[in-house]
This record gives sequence, C-alpha cells and structure tokens, in this order.
Amino acid sequence: MKRFLQSRGVRKFRRNKLAMAALSVISIYMGVTMAILGFDLFTLSETSERVGPNTTPGFFQLSSPEKRLQDCEFYIDLVDSAMNRSNPEAAIRESPLAELTIASMPMEEREEKLDETWALYEEIADTENVDERPDLLPEIEKLETMTAALYRQPEGLAGKVYQFRRCLGTDRQGRSIMVRAVYSIKVAILIGLVTSLISVIFGSILGASAAFFGGWVDHIVIWLYSTFSSIPNLVLLTVLVYMFTGSTFDGTLIPVYAAFCMTFWIGPCRLIRGEVLKIRELEYVQAATALGFNRFYILLKHILPNTAHLMFINFSLLFIGAIKSEVILSFLGLGVKKGPSWGIMINQAGQEVINGFFWQIGAATVFMFVLVLCFNILTDALQDAFDPKHV
Amino acid sequence: MWAYIFRKLIYNIPIYLGIILLMMAALRVNDPIWAYLGKYANQERYDAFAHQTGLDQPFVVQYASFLKDVFQLNFSTESWDKPGVEVGAILKRAIVPSLALTVPALVITSVISICIGLLASFYRGSKIDQGLVILAVLGMSISFLVYIIIGQYFGAYWLNQKMETELFAIAGYEPGLLNWPRYCLLPVLISVIVAMGYDTRFYRAVMVEECTRDYITTAQAKGASRKKIMFVHMLKNAMIPIITRIMITLPFLITGSILLEWYFNIPGMGRTLLTAINAKDCPIIQVFTAMFAALLICTNILTDILYAVVDPRVRLS
Repeated sequence: MKRFLQSRGVRKFRRNKLAMAALSVISIYMGVTMAILGFDLFTLSETSERVGPNTTPGFFQLSSPEKRLQDCEFYIDLVDSAMNRSNPEAAIRESPLAELTIASMPMEEREEKLDETWALYEEIADTENVDERPDLLPEIEKLETMTAALYRQPEGLAGKVYQFRRCLGTDRQGRSIMVRAVYSIKVAILIGLVTSLISVIFGSILGASAAFFGGWVDHIVIWLYSTFSSIPNLVLLTVLVYMFTGSTFDGTLIPVYAAFCMTFWIGPCRLIRGEVLKIRELEYVQAATALGFNRFYILLKHILPNTAHLMFINFSLLFIGAIKSEVILSFLGLGVKKGPSWGIMINQAGQEVINGFFWQIGAATVFMFVLVLCFNILTDALQDAFDPKHV
Repeated sequence: MWAYIFRKLIYNIPIYLGIILLMMAALRVNDPIWAYLGKYANQERYDAFAHQTGLDQPFVVQYASFLKDVFQLNFSTESWDKPGVEVGAILKRAIVPSLALTVPALVITSVISICIGLLASFYRGSKIDQGLVILAVLGMSISFLVYIIIGQYFGAYWLNQKMETELFAIAGYEPGLLNWPRYCLLPVLISVIVAMGYDTRFYRAVMVEECTRDYITTAQAKGASRKKIMFVHMLKNAMIPIITRIMITLPFLITGSILLEWYFNIPGMGRTLLTAINAKDCPIIQVFTAMFAALLICTNILTDILYAVVDPRVRLS
C-alpha cells in the first residue's frame, strides 16, 4: 500500500490540482450522503413536506405581482382553514409549513386581523391586470406584511433551517427544491458507489480469470459479455427493471442496483481481460509459475494488483454512467420510485418549464452537473497519471 | 470476403441465441400474465390467457417457437395491449420514424465532430483547442434530459413565440419528407449537440496522436499544404478509430433516440418499446429487444468489414 502511494502515477495524480479539487468536491458529496444516511440530515418524509406556496422562485427573488398576490392568498387561506376546523386551537398549534407556525394570539384578535387581511386582499384582487399596475405594488407589500403578521416567523436555528429550505424555491406542490436536490445526492451516490464497485470487482475477476486460465473459461466469458453487450444498454436496463416490477423489491433501489450491475460489468471485464493477456506473458508471472506458486495465488497476488489502475479508471467511468443512467431511468418512471431523485425532479420540471419556471430543473441539473463534471475531471486525471498511452 | 462474413455470422449465432434466452428468461422471472392481468384476475382467466398465448407450454418449447419466428422474420403473434394487431405490423410502422431520427443524427454528428476534432488537433495547445476541450467536458456533464427539455422549450416554444410562426412542432410526428423538418429536425439537432461533446473529444485525441506520426512530417517536408495534410493524409489514416467510434456510438444513438422519441412523442421503436413495457405487453417487448440485438450484431459485423475496406493492411481471414 505504501509503495503504491509513492508510485510515479500517484505522485503525478496528486500534483494535478484540478483533480484534487474535483476529489474534494466529490468528498463533500460523499459527506452529505453520510450525513443523510447516518445522522438523518433529511428524512424521506421531509422531501415531500410542503414548505410554502407553489413554484416560488429561489434566492428569495420576488415573483410577479399576480403571483405574489396568489402566494398571500395561500398563506391567508391556511390560517383561515385552521380557524374553521372543529378544534381551531389545536389546528393552529400544528405548524402547517415545516418550521413556519401560525402566531399565537387571542382568538378574537386573530379573527380581526384575518378579516382585515382578507379585505385588503379582495380589494387588490378585484382590480384587473395586476401585473401591469405598478401603483399597486405598495399595496401588495402592505398585504404581505399583514400576512406575515399572522405567522410567527421561525428564529435562530429553526429560522436558518427554514431559510435553507426555501432558498431554491418550491416546486409545483410547494415542496422544497433544495431539500429534494440534496436528498437526491444520497440516491445518486449510493447507486453510483454500489453499482460501480460491484461491477468493477465482478468484471475484473471474470475478465482476469478468462485471460489467465484461457480455454473454456475464456470462451464462456467472451460469450457472456458479447451477449450482454449486444443488447442496447437502455433496452437491457428497462427489461431488467421490468423483471422486478411487482416483486417485493419494487420501490427499493435493489432493481436499479441489479440492472446496473448486470450491464456495467462488461466494460471492466473486457479491459482487464486484454490487460491480463499482456501481463501473463511477462517475466515475473513466468517466474512465479516456475517457482511453483498456486495459479490462484499468482492471479490474486501478482496479476490483479497490476491492473488496479484500470480498475480505478473504470470505477470512475462507471460512476458517471450510473448517475446518468439513474437519472434517465427515473425519468422514464422505471428507476427510483420512492422519494426524490434528480431524474424524478427533471421529469416533474418538464411541466414547469412550459410555464417558464426553471428553478427545479436548474437545481437538479446544477447538482448533477457538478458531480459528473468532477468525476469527468477525475477520470481524465487518473487516465493521464496511470494509463498515459490510452486515447 | 464472403467467407469471412459467413464465418462471422456463424460465430454470432450462439451470441444471438444467448440474447434471446436471456431476454425471454428475464421477461418470465416475474410472471408476465399476472403482471398484465393485474392482481385481481382469477385463476380461470389466467389459465385461459396462458393457453391462448402459448405461455403454458414449457420454456424450451416457447424458446424454440420464438426462435423460429425470429429467423423467419414472421411476427404474427398478437399484441396483448392492442388485441388484433400483429406485432410485425407494429414493428413495421415503428421502423421509419426511428430511422428518420437516428440516421440524420449519426451523419451530422460524425461530420461535424470529425471536422472540429481536426481543427482542435491542428491548433493543439492553443486557446481554441483548450476552449473546445473545456466545452466538450462541460457539455458531457449535463444530462441528456436537460438538453431535451430545455431544447424543446427554447426551440419549439420560445422561438415560435418570438418568430410568431411555427418553425418546429412541440411534439408529434407525421410521415412524409416534407413534414420531416417540422417534427424531426429539432430532436436531431438536440441529439447532435449532446453527442458532440463525447465525439469531439475522442476525435481530437485520435487526430493529435496521428499528428505526431512520421508521415505527417514527411508530407510537410515535401511541401504539402496544410489542408491537404489534414483532410487527405490524416483523415485517411485515422479512419479505423473513426469507424470504430461511429459503430460504438450506434447503440448509444438507439438509446438516445428512445428518450427523444419518448419526449417528442415520435412513434418509433423506442417509444413503442417503452409503452409496451409500461403496458406489460410481453410479445412486443420480446420482438423489439430481439430486433435491437440483431441490429447491433449486424453493425458489429459491418464494422469488421469496413475495417478491411478502409485499411488495406487489414485482411479478412
């Protein structure tokens, strides 16, 4: 291990500043995944929780006056419906929008305030073409402050959390885009990590043994990977996922893992087989054979470690493939079914884009873009450092 | 040559048998009849349906009969979802729209990205080259879906509003050459833009490698013009990796067209397959996957033949 860390390739890789930056960004993503998995940073239920009105823009930008009016209506209506419940006191104590709670005050006072706000709202809403009336803006602002007075704005840590949830806006169902995008990191990293790890290990072992043992093992492995690779990737993925619909695994990530592993092992298998074909003719392998070592021992101890660089490169490549394929499968409704993922977000954003709302698709794209870009940079750096002859 | 093709075909037969076996087995892991009929169907209905479709026979018999159908290109089984319609008819209807998307996309992408690759390798190390490489990496990192959604919004919706005429349809398909630009040009353009990132990078790497060869120096010393070196000497010698690349991108093109067809509502093979998967329409899934695989195997064989055509050093023996 120590020798590996001091090898020329590793030193060259570590001198590559861009690659180190990419690696640190990837570790941030990994850290977020750990936080979600281990410390429940966000739970699944939080991703489907309503945090505000529908399709609010991110970074606390102001929407059009018409939309602001609608948002006010949404907030007032929430208080109104709580008041009309059979037990208004209890309904008011429940917080309707994550951290945001209805202000506690005597019932009569609240009723009075509510009526006032409704009156102002009606007044503004009665005028036509609110968007083209700049003189109404102060009125709308007044309405907004009056609406805000009905609520107790969260303070301290809760306030920060609430702001964080709202900072990229909300989708068509009033859910926090930020929380959904961050939660999707976990989904993407988990799928990438599990599938690329399993496929690289499985593919390498298969490829190495095919080349090393030759004969019928080689024939079977070649037949296997030619078979799998002769089916277009997406077709194979959809059929494999279809295989699991209705089974007990439906709704978990296991169908996706299985489908990806079954398609992704081909790449490393082919590559490692080619490399081992070259390596097994080298002198040190012949020396080991002459010394009478067990064949499995030679394969594990002398040959596989010398293909490690290819495994790293492939791991990185497959990670990108897994993330992208997950997004596409989820988009088609075959991948992740419970909870959010970037693919599901992009799928839902399709409807919003037609109305000119880009926050959800933008958030999902940026989160995914950064991760994939980092992996692309990492792959290039790994290739430069360990496999410079590769085109 | 013919002997070679024949041998290749024979060599690919066990692979094709394997594909069909794999696909049929995968479709039967989860009982397709229950999946189609739903949980609330009773046993009688199940038995009747199984008998009608021949799914009550042992797997080997089903396998053999399906193989017979494939090799005779006789797809007269009925679709489950659309009773009375033969799968073969559905397949026939779906091929043309798919080709209308994939063939232009493949040609345009290859031509443009080879030219850009040549350009970048010619100016290698300069600002233009670096800019192109960075652009390619950035373009590769964005999901295909985003290109589709944003492309559709700006190409078919925003542009139409600005120009006040309908240049591209938002979605849909109508047969006929005259209707092609209206329905297919936008998806083709999107597919070209997506593929550019990957292809340009690869072609640049190939050309850069080719640039350092001795014959280029010789040609330069003999006073050949830069244009001639680039387009005659280099391009000819880089043909093998270029062909490999084009053939490798074919399956990706197919998958890409599945998404495009899905989103732009074009009734091609990909869209039909996905609708069949959603409707649990087993016969269609089976036949379509078999066809996709056959297509891929044919391209593999074609690749090998093209090698020999392009490069006289390669012998088909």
